[in-house]
Amino acid sequence: MSALEKVFYSPVGQGVAKKAGLSEPPTLRRGRTWPQGAIVLAPLEGATLGKLTLKALGRAFEAPVVDTDTDQAPGYGSRIGALMVDATALTTLGQLEQVRAVLRPAMKGLERSGRIVILAAAPAGGWEQRALARALDGIDRTVGKELRGGATTNLVYVEPGVRPGDLASTLEFLLQGRSAFVDGQTWTVSASGTKATVSDKPLAGKTAVVTGAARGIGAAIARTLARDGAHLIVVDIPPAGEALAAVANEVGGTALHLDITAADAGHTLAAHIAERGHELYAVVHNAGITRDKMLANTDAARWASVLDVNLQAQMRINDVLLNPKTKGGLAKGGRLVGIASTSGLAGNKGQTNYAASKAGVAGLVQAMAPDLADRGITVNAVAPGFIETDMTARIPFVQREIFRRTNSLSQGGSPVDVAETIGYLLDPASAGVTGQVIRVCGQNLVGA
Amino acid sequence: MSPEAVIVGGNRIPFTKAGGRYAQASNHDMLTAALDGLVARYGLAGERVGEVAGGAVLKHSRDFNLTREAVLSSALSPLTPACDVQQACGTSLETTVYIANKIRLGQIPSGIASGVDSASDAPIAVSEPLRRILLKANAAKTVQQRIAAFSKIRPQHLAPAAPSVKEPRTGLSMGQHQARTTESWGITREAQDELAATSHANLAAAWDGGFFDDLVTPYLGVTKDTILRPDTSVEKLGALKPAFGGPEGTMTAGNSTALSDGAAAVLLASREWAEEHHLPMLAKVVDAEVAAVDHPSGADLLLAPVAATGRILERNGLTVGDFDLVEIHEAFASTVLATLAAWESEEYCTGLGLSGAIGTLDRSKLNVNGSSLAVGHPFAATGARIVASLAKMLHQRGPGSRGLISVCAAGGLGVVAILEAV
Amino acid sequence: MAAVATRAERDVEVLAGTPNLMPAFARSVLPRPHSGPPTIPTREAVIRNYSQDPARLAAYNRLTGFTLRDAVPPTWLHVLTFPLHIHLLSDKESSIKLLGAVHVSNSMTLHRPVSVSERLNLGVHLDALRPHRKGALVDLIGTIRVADEVVWEGISTYLAQGVTVPVEAQPTDREPFEPATPQALWSLPLDLGRQYRAVSGDPNPIHTSRLAARAFGFPRPIIHGMWTYARALASFDGRLPGAYATRVAFTKPILLPTTVGLITHRTDAGYRAVVTDRRGSAPHLAMSVDTPQLDQ
Repeated sequence: MSALEKVFYSPVGQGVAKKAGLSEPPTLRRGRTWPQGAIVLAPLEGATLGKLTLKALGRAFEAPVVDTDTDQAPGYGSRIGALMVDATALTTLGQLEQVRAVLRPAMKGLERSGRIVILAAAPAGGWEQRALARALDGIDRTVGKELRGGATTNLVYVEPGVRPGDLASTLEFLLQGRSAFVDGQTWTVSASGTKATVSDKPLAGKTAVVTGAARGIGAAIARTLARDGAHLIVVDIPPAGEALAAVANEVGGTALHLDITAADAGHTLAAHIAERGHELYAVVHNAGITRDKMLANTDAARWASVLDVNLQAQMRINDVLLNPKTKGGLAKGGRLVGIASTSGLAGNKGQTNYAASKAGVAGLVQAMAPDLADRGITVNAVAPGFIETDMTARIPFVQREIFRRTNSLSQGGSPVDVAETIGYLLDPASAGVTGQVIRVCGQNLVGA
Repeated sequence: MSPEAVIVGGNRIPFTKAGGRYAQASNHDMLTAALDGLVARYGLAGERVGEVAGGAVLKHSRDFNLTREAVLSSALSPLTPACDVQQACGTSLETTVYIANKIRLGQIPSGIASGVDSASDAPIAVSEPLRRILLKANAAKTVQQRIAAFSKIRPQHLAPAAPSVKEPRTGLSMGQHQARTTESWGITREAQDELAATSHANLAAAWDGGFFDDLVTPYLGVTKDTILRPDTSVEKLGALKPAFGGPEGTMTAGNSTALSDGAAAVLLASREWAEEHHLPMLAKVVDAEVAAVDHPSGADLLLAPVAATGRILERNGLTVGDFDLVEIHEAFASTVLATLAAWESEEYCTGLGLSGAIGTLDRSKLNVNGSSLAVGHPFAATGARIVASLAKMLHQRGPGSRGLISVCAAGGLGVVAILEAV
Repeated sequence: MAAVATRAERDVEVLAGTPNLMPAFARSVLPRPHSGPPTIPTREAVIRNYSQDPARLAAYNRLTGFTLRDAVPPTWLHVLTFPLHIHLLSDKESSIKLLGAVHVSNSMTLHRPVSVSERLNLGVHLDALRPHRKGALVDLIGTIRVADEVVWEGISTYLAQGVTVPVEAQPTDREPFEPATPQALWSLPLDLGRQYRAVSGDPNPIHTSRLAARAFGFPRPIIHGMWTYARALASFDGRLPGAYATRVAFTKPILLPTTVGLITHRTDAGYRAVVTDRRGSAPHLAMSVDTPQLDQ
């Protein structure tokens, strides 16, 4: 077939995706969508947590194809939607063979945007058990790099005492399209005793504040949380008011013009919430700025403004909202989410100030989480990688193109990918997820 | 007891000089923007509000249902009714009174009072002779007839007819009228320039202090009032040439309001509605009064609010000293100064049928966050701007704080209202 | 609604500014003797750092029924890319010529609100030349970026009659139309084409001249499909979200002057509108808006 004929046979309307000479990155499955193919569960050594969690989610599952170490891996008859490896009962390194045996047939048997989810016991116990937990992390990261067609893999460490209800929202998120740009990651779920169950409107009747919501990732967060049922208070600086009003009116929320770096910003916010008769369930500290320069050219003003907006302002606001005496403060069982960045986790040329602020956010949520556990408040951060927004558009072209291509999904993420991850963290059923920093980066090369 | 009408809050777009950044925006566009910002601030997207009253002074015939059309383009429920009201520069103080009265009568639980004006997009821009020539050319049946019609156009016909508001009965512009008032009340140039400088200084301080953070929503990239000159001074204003009253005149472009574009809106409600919706209650509308002067017979055109003020104070048993804040619309600096002089004049006040002089105002209570000289004056938007700002200022001072609004208007009209913080 | 697109590895021709449309248009009209299979230019024509004219936007909005806001309508963004359509169709490599080519469908995705004050990078290329029972179809694919962020994508599908593509035509689906009483009647004056030309820059005389219209088999000038589309989209003004996809199929040209009807529906995914004859018995175009909030 000639090249010209190939063009002729392209279906109507796919023109945008047709780019000569370059392999097109896969279109990712997004939103509250489940895999199309079967969900396959591999419970190793009699593990039951995965099975019970899938049952709690109401998802049917099938038995895995197990490789018997032949030259040719046995295949799945038709492509499967997801493989879940329940490795929570493994204790020895020798048992890793069982992991290999179930992963191998799936590597070529997954549908586009398929999923691999590995459940493992959180690192604890003896030397071998700890080594095993870390080995599974290495497997997850490598599988992520080998999978194609928009498929992802992620590892969930499960703390002792975790029940299916603690894990359900995490598994739902990972299997659904919402986790499209979360790949090769590992985080931990703890026992929370939550009675909340997953639903399509997990945030119904709950009020969430999103800062920096006039555009980009903040606007996407507002829309996604509204889809999940939340009432939104969207916040941005006064000059962004027109765009902010459009977002507020679209999601049926309220717009609050507020400079988060103002000394009384926390009180203004709390007063607004109290006045409007809301109980504050969640705050998403999304507002952030960049003032990029090589450190050799970074003056004190550039340094201070980024740290203040991206890190210190949210600490001041948190102080006010977490004071139990504050009217309009954060309710028991509430949610705090900060925005870190892969730049903060891995470092990035020209962004010392930004990296400091974003790594600081990661450190902050890890420090706060245990202290707020007794109030049922979870504190987490999301670390976006390369997300296509007007802010990242300021990155020089070559660097941007490298960012885009050097991840396992061969593309930049969308603001909605960050928003969906935040939606997952805000889910009342995610009560067992706290102190985590979840990267939404398509498994970018850079970063730990 | 009849229900109270409380002011929940307001929203306006920044005001600009005519021909500036909103030069291409119509009244419809600006009013929609003001409504959308209000809807966003109070979470009213998709809500049916009792009624929206609005208006414009300079209005195209296509905008016969201006406010209703803006409602349809806004985020409010399309089931929200609306009406147009027009009372020259008093328009949106009058729409505030209209909505407040309906709320107090229990006819509606909530409503929006608004106003808009574009001096950039003024309807009549061609001279009368040119209009006639164009009509003739339009009616021409042949090319020859059309050419003949156009051949009658003379350069003077093409002079831009700036939207000057002339009084039909006197043929005098507002500036010309006010120049006579200025002279007869002996208002000095220095006093006018000082008042103008104070207006700019007060407005600049209000912006810097974040006063407008919850009163203004940017529009078309304009984030602040553009007429504001934070660095102006009595000295700088003193250097300007007279614009009205001849070479000896004291009124300049600096102490007269500029032709402006802008829109403003105020959300009013019954206490019950505001409580149900968990919305703030800043102040209640206590009372209002409209008065007129016989300017065709020589009365001061823009001093009609004096009679209205005297009557409303007597009716409510109040004196000037009972007010914590007073807002007198700065059509011209000399209007405000003549108004204050008239308040103090036994002769003028008794001549209006009042029992005596209204009294002397403590100037520190006057237009404390700036007024029209610095903000600008899109005619029909000014009332709603003042209502929202004053309600917020009174609320900040605490319950019971009382404020008076005085707005002069073309046609020898004056609208005044009393607000009280709740 | 993901704003994700990759940079094409195709040749890019950067234009210094908006091309002068009349000469380009004239070139795009001239028939050229052609032998062998039909061809289309493969490069992307690009205008960088384009600054939008607020006065023209205001005039465009007024003519199409949009309220002037900081965020511009997606159909306006199409208008900004249109000179690049003409530029590419006037290329000697293009077997498809603008005059006589019929705009049959259009789809656009607004990835996020675009401000009138934003500088835009406009790009258009041709793709997917394919057969149709009346000739050949080709897509003009527009991409608008702010810096490198894709904010808008549009596909205009043109039907070139008399162009033969040597493969079998695929049948095209058409959405069913149910006659109904129009909710609104629009009276379109004879000079509407002239008015729209002033804001869109589309110099095609088929919209303004009876003579030119006749030459292409229409008794009277026809209004630009993109005006009608914009006007129909504007009927949802105030209810459109910040990001959405919209598509239109042009069924039958509208001869000027005339009165047409509008029928709108709320759908699961968003909105649908059909512009019909005055009685609502036959469609001129059908369009839809898919809002991301509703379909997730």
